[in-house]
Amino acid sequence: MKNVPIDLPIPTEDLVSCVSCGLCLPHCPTYRVTQEESASPRGRIALMKQAHHDGVVDDEFVEFMDTCIQCRGCETACPAGVQFGSMMETTREALATQTRYQPWWARLGYRTLGWQKALRAGSALIALLQRFRLVPQKLGLPSIPIIQRPLVSSGNDVWLFTGCIMDAWMRDTHRAVQRVLESTGAGIAFPDKRANCCGALHVHAGLAPEARRLALRTMQAFPGDAPILVDSAGCGAQLKDYGHLLDSDAAREFSERVLDVHEWLAQRLDDLPEKTGLSPRIVVQDPCHLRHVQRAHESVYQVLGRYVEAVSLDDDGLCCGAGGAYSTFHPQIASDVRDRKIRAIEEIQAEEVASANPGCLLHLRSGGLEVRHPLEIVDGLIKKDE
Amino acid sequence: MVHKSADKKLLSELRSFLGDRARDGDFELGLYAKDGSVLKGDPMIVCLPTSTEEVQQIILACRRYDRPFLARGSGTGLAGGAVPVGDPVVIATAKMNKILDIDIDNRIAWVEPGVLNLDLSRELSPLGFHFAPDPSSQQVCSIGGNVANNSGGPHCLAYGVTSAHVAAIEVVLPDGRVALLGDLTAESPGYDLRGLFIGSEGTMGVATKVAVRLTPNPPEVRTLLLDFADVRDGAAAVSSIIANGLIPAALEMMDQRAIEIVEAFVNAGYPTEADAVLLVELDGLPGGVEHGVEVVRAVANRHQVGSVRVAADDAERALLWKGRKNAFGAVARIKPDYYLHDTVVPRGKLVEVLEKVYQIADAYDLIAVNVFHAGDGNLHPILAYDSEEKGVLERVQAAGRAIVTASIEAGGVLSGEHGIGLEKRDYMGMLFSAHDMATQDLVREAFDPDGFANPLKVLPSGSRCSDSFGQHVPDGAWV
Ligand SMILES: Cc1cc2nc3c(=O)[nH]c(=O)nc-3n(C[C@H](O)[C@H](O)[C@H](O)COP(=O)(O)OP(=O)(O)OC[C@H]3O[C@@H](n4cnc5c(N)ncnc54)[C@H](O)[C@@H]3O)c2cc1C
Ligand code: SF4
Ligand code: SF4
Repeated sequence: MKNVPIDLPIPTEDLVSCVSCGLCLPHCPTYRVTQEESASPRGRIALMKQAHHDGVVDDEFVEFMDTCIQCRGCETACPAGVQFGSMMETTREALATQTRYQPWWARLGYRTLGWQKALRAGSALIALLQRFRLVPQKLGLPSIPIIQRPLVSSGNDVWLFTGCIMDAWMRDTHRAVQRVLESTGAGIAFPDKRANCCGALHVHAGLAPEARRLALRTMQAFPGDAPILVDSAGCGAQLKDYGHLLDSDAAREFSERVLDVHEWLAQRLDDLPEKTGLSPRIVVQDPCHLRHVQRAHESVYQVLGRYVEAVSLDDDGLCCGAGGAYSTFHPQIASDVRDRKIRAIEEIQAEEVASANPGCLLHLRSGGLEVRHPLEIVDGLIKKDE
Repeated sequence: MVHKSADKKLLSELRSFLGDRARDGDFELGLYAKDGSVLKGDPMIVCLPTSTEEVQQIILACRRYDRPFLARGSGTGLAGGAVPVGDPVVIATAKMNKILDIDIDNRIAWVEPGVLNLDLSRELSPLGFHFAPDPSSQQVCSIGGNVANNSGGPHCLAYGVTSAHVAAIEVVLPDGRVALLGDLTAESPGYDLRGLFIGSEGTMGVATKVAVRLTPNPPEVRTLLLDFADVRDGAAAVSSIIANGLIPAALEMMDQRAIEIVEAFVNAGYPTEADAVLLVELDGLPGGVEHGVEVVRAVANRHQVGSVRVAADDAERALLWKGRKNAFGAVARIKPDYYLHDTVVPRGKLVEVLEKVYQIADAYDLIAVNVFHAGDGNLHPILAYDSEEKGVLERVQAAGRAIVTASIEAGGVLSGEHGIGLEKRDYMGMLFSAHDMATQDLVREAFDPDGFANPLKVLPSGSRCSDSFGQHVPDGAWV
């Protein structure tokens, strides 16, 4: 597409808040692997400024925006406090609503995520193919059960959010998280199927209207005022953003109730079972949506540190390249970014990797690493002790 | 996009060996129009070479089509050195980012120019070494840019600026020849062409490989934060510390506004009510460092220090430095644009010049923020403004000129470390006579007689003609 008119509704004060100092560049995964100004936060903001001013975009512009992983590492690095995430979301929404960005098949794919029957059917098919070894190992998919055992609520002290892909593919992780939460004496409630997609991937893709629809539906699945715990950093970040996405008091109140599971546990360390036995050495990969968006990654070390020797990476929390659906659409950049992460991980001699986000976990596994959710590791150690 | 047929031919020639690494997309060109300064230019084509040979081929092609060229590192320069004027081809070194060889025995590392300063030090750290120049932009600025600007940083007070840490440079000269300037011995005979190239801001060719000297990491480091209720006491303490025979590794100062914006970013516990803080770092053998800490304490007490905080561990040290090193960017928390000077004044005149800076800012109705390398008297007065405001650019320029005048009158110089580039070019006449500048132009001409390399920078055009002063940065370049 060539010179398509666009109205980019980013507030001018946000656009000019970038002083182009470049301090964010080394913290941007796509700049790191390309060394291209157009794949850097500073470059992308300059492009937004230009499109905002000229009122036209072309394929080149769309590509530069589309290669952003939306990890928001640049926000943590930026001394000027530039709100990159919301600027990128606004840009993508404008592209998706005003241009041919996001073709029908991509939109259909995103739709499936919030449509439990279709997601289940698709997952069952993958499960079947896995039994016949027709799914390549390198995709790093977990072994998906053909028939899913349901999750069983054990009380109503806290909610545990279940989500779409994670619930379909990694329900055992939810079970492990449930056991760890219960070990503190809490009773866990699971939401009904209205909570089967938070809409994070839709927001990232620029499909904000769909995301708003999913958000309204999700909120209905959590009556009362019990805390809503999330064991997927990406979903947690999204649920915490409902206040902003829907701009309503109800949504803001809802977001206030949301906590990453580790945040909640870190406030109750003494209620967790004592540690006995050896502490394995575990490398912790900080998911961007926990570190740069929720800014709650320290809680993982607090919880995990009770049971293992939790080692952090020396890479300023640079993204691993998963980025929700990103690795599907940009496999090359995603794997180049992952290679950097794998090198950083391999420099540390450790037994295993812990990642608090299912997307990162699967992406790193498909790079050949052994990765589990931090609370699956904790669950294993607690059980051994019993 | 290139339109003229000669430029189209140049582009297709560049593409014949660079492939898609020669760019002319409208959106993309815009990304190479600016650096960290307030100026904006217009690149003709952007090239992203990956080897010395490619840089050489680009320069030869430019010459054939009579196009100037311009090297660009990470684009963090604060004087417009990498801002393309005169429709040049931009040679961006970002993809030349390999550390080629680390030779611990001889304490030398050969690196490509696009290697980021902090990446190099991080790579060296497990071996017990680092690259000493540490500009506050160190996480992103390139070694090539450091060489071209002869950059300094907080720790250059004790260790010296870039020229003290570069042994040799491979350059592609403006006529396309490849030359090695300097060598790896301590004293080399003949003219120091390496020294001449360092600080030449891209006007003498493109550095394609740099042999940097490695500095051993100090066995012991202590970082102190001193706060003062009066900026004058802080400035006086700076002079006393040095007068007491101590050369700290770093001695930095921030004024009240700087403290406030920095603290909002890092939450390091900087005292936001203080009028000024000093960040003092001492390094060396443990005994010497402990003694230094006591000297600093005693001096600070004599100058009415509020409190002395000694960073307890590496994490706390890192956090304090993170604050200092992000100060320029954090200025955007006050106003979206900033214009920054880089004058150096004798340490004894710090208080006097600082007061003038505040008076000048007040007179032009601007906000001044001061965060600077106090130990060597290198001021960085920042004028924060909003370019959308009508008539503000004239005020900023006039205030800038007044600040430079005040610094030079106090016995200072125009630039400590950021270079002259485009932004400070027209001030050169305030410091140098026409004769001085004509001589400098002769040196430049010896490297680049036809004016292909980074044209219109550093020296006012026609410096060899007598009346050059008063020529201005091209209209519309200010953004
Ligand atoms: C937040 C911030 C803090 C800063 N702090 C400091 C500081 O403490 N001390 C300091 O000295 N500076 C500082 N600077 C200025 C700047 O970072 C330095 O001048 C740095 O060395 C520039 O490097 P660069 O790679 O960004 O170069 P660029 O800005 O890309 O280029 C700078 C100049 O070098 C030339 N050049 C670049 N590469 C080459 C090459 N390979 N061969 C020949 N010429 C080349 C360019 O033509 C240009 O003239 C700061 C800047 C910012 C934004
Ligand atoms: S986003 Fe922030 S860190 Fe990056 S260039 Fe802009 S102001 Fe600097
Ligand atoms: S969100 Fe991540 S990928 Fe996108 S510009 Fe920022 S740092 Fe780069």
